[in-house]
Amino acid sequence: MKPPKPFWNPYVAGVALGGVMLVSFLLVGKGLGASGTANRLGVAAVEAVAPDHVRQNSFFAEISTTGRSLLDSWLVFEVLGMFLGGLVAAYTSGRLSRGVIKGPQISTAMRLSMALGGGVLMGMAARLARGCTSGQALSGGALMSAGSFIFMFAVFGGAYALAYSLRKVWN
Amino acid sequence: MLPLDSLFTEHRELGLVIAVAIGFGFGFVLERAGFGRATKLAAQFYLHDMTVFKVMFAAIITAMAGVWVADGVGLIEFRALAESAVSFTYLWPMLVGGLVLGAGFIISGYCPGTSVVATASGNLDGLVTFVGVIIGSVIYGELFPLIASFHTSGDQGFLFLPDVIGIPAPVLAAVIVAAAIGMFLGAEKVERIFKRRRGELPEGDPSPQRPRIFALSAIGGLALLALITLGVPQTPRADEPRTAVLISQDELARRIIDEPWTLRIIDLRDAASCAEARIPGTQCAPRRTISTLGLPYDTGTRDLVLVDETTATAPDEALAYKGRLFTLEGGWSGWRAFALVKPLLPEPGASSAEQEYYTFRAALHSALSGQKPAPLPPANTTYVPRKKKKKGGGCS
Repeated sequence: MKPPKPFWNPYVAGVALGGVMLVSFLLVGKGLGASGTANRLGVAAVEAVAPDHVRQNSFFAEISTTGRSLLDSWLVFEVLGMFLGGLVAAYTSGRLSRGVIKGPQISTAMRLSMALGGGVLMGMAARLARGCTSGQALSGGALMSAGSFIFMFAVFGGAYALAYSLRKVWN
Repeated sequence: MLPLDSLFTEHRELGLVIAVAIGFGFGFVLERAGFGRATKLAAQFYLHDMTVFKVMFAAIITAMAGVWVADGVGLIEFRALAESAVSFTYLWPMLVGGLVLGAGFIISGYCPGTSVVATASGNLDGLVTFVGVIIGSVIYGELFPLIASFHTSGDQGFLFLPDVIGIPAPVLAAVIVAAAIGMFLGAEKVERIFKRRRGELPEGDPSPQRPRIFALSAIGGLALLALITLGVPQTPRADEPRTAVLISQDELARRIIDEPWTLRIIDLRDAASCAEARIPGTQCAPRRTISTLGLPYDTGTRDLVLVDETTATAPDEALAYKGRLFTLEGGWSGWRAFALVKPLLPEPGASSAEQEYYTFRAALHSALSGQKPAPLPPANTTYVPRKKKKKGGGCS
C-alpha cells in the first residue's frame, strides 16, 4: 500500500479555507456551519417520532416554522457537501480507511464513549453559543463579531484547561 | 451587488447546489489540513502541533481581508453582510458555550465540523462524535424551558469589534492580520520547543525553514491585501458627490406596510402642512430645522426618505447621513394622488397583474385615507427597532 499523501502546509490550508469562506460570504451572504445541521437532524428525528412534541417546544419550533421540511435547508446541503468533500479528499490522498483514531494508551471502547460524551457536550454548547467552531468562531470571527471572539477564546480556554488531565488519552 | 439574494428565492435550487459546492470545498480543505484525525486536532492542546490554531487564524484573516477588499471595491457592504451572516452577541451564553465546547473538543477530539470530515474519511470515532452532537442538540432543546433566561442573557444585539474598540474597521482588520502574523511566529517557536521535548526533533536541528518561508510569504501577501483595503474604501465614495436615490410611491407604500422599521421618513414641508396630513410614520422637520436633527451622527441603520411638496432636493445634512438616502418621487403631491385617491376599478378582462395592482392600491387607499386620524409624528429619537431575531445561531 502506498503511504498517504502528506497534509497540506497549515498556512496554505488556512488560506484555502479562508478562500472558501470568502466565496460563501460573497455569493450567498452566509458563512460556513456544521452544528446547525446536527440540530436539524436531531429535531427532524424527534419530529418523526413525536411531531406534537416539536410543536410544543419553542426551541424546536423555532427552526421548523418555514413550512419546509427541516432538512430542506441551505446548511444541511452545505454539510452534505462537506461530507462529500471530505470523502473525496480522503480517498485521493490515500487516507480513506475504516478505523478508530485514538491515543496509544486507551481502549477503543473508552475512545468511542469519550467521543460520544464530548459530542453531546458540544451539541449542547453549540446551541447555547449560537454556533460551533465553524459558524461562530470561523465565520463570525472573520466578520469581527465580538461574540465570536469571546467564543473562540473560550473554546481554546476550555480545551487547554482540560488538556492536562486528559493527557493519557491523547499521548 | 452581492450577495445574490435570489439564491434563496427564485433560484433556490441553484442556491442549494452552491451550498453543496461550498461545503465540498470546506470538507476537502479540512481533510487535507489533517482535521479528519482526532490525534492531529488534539495535539493543538499539547502544543507540539499547532495546526488547528494556524489553519483557523489563517482562514479568518484571509476571509477578513477578502471581505474588506470586496467592501472597498463596492461588491458588498460590510455591515449588511455581517448582519446577515453572524448572530447577535450574547455575552454569557457565548462564554459558557465556548468553554463547554472546548471541553467537548478535547474529550472527543473533534469539533462538530471536523467530526463530519472524520466520518467521511472512515473514522468511526468521528461518526460517534457527530451522533453525540445531534443528541446534545436535542437534549439542549429539551432543557430549553429551564434555561431560556440564560440562553438570551447578556444580549448585545449585533456587536462588532470595531464598535467595541472604537477604531475604524479596516484599520482593525489590518491590526488583526498583523497580530496573527506575530502569533504564527510564536506558534512556530512553541511547536519546536514541545516537539524537541517529545524527542521528535533532534537537538540543534535547523529546520523547519520551508514552512516558515511559506507562512511569511502567504501572510505578507495577506497583510498587503488588507493594507490596500485601507486606501480603497475612501477614494471612490468621497470623490463622486452623493445624491439621493429616487424612491417610487409604489415602493415606499409597500415598505411602509411591510417593513416600516427600516425607514426614517422626514417631511420637509412647513410645519402646518405637515401637521395637517403626512405619510404614516413621518417626522415633520421643515427644511430650515433639519440641521437640528443630527443626521450625520445617526447610525444610519434605517433608510432615510425625504418628502417635500414635489420631489425633494436633499439638503447637505441629509447627504451626510451614513445610511441609504432616498427622496420620494413626486413628493407629497405625488403621494396624495397615489395613495389618497381611490383607484379606478380595472376594466373587465384586465390582466392578473393589473388586478393585483388594483387590489394593492385599493387596500392602500382604505388603509391610508383618513378613516382614522393620522398617527402622531414620532418623537425625534435614534432608537432603532431590531431587525428579525437570528434563530438557531451562527451555524444556521
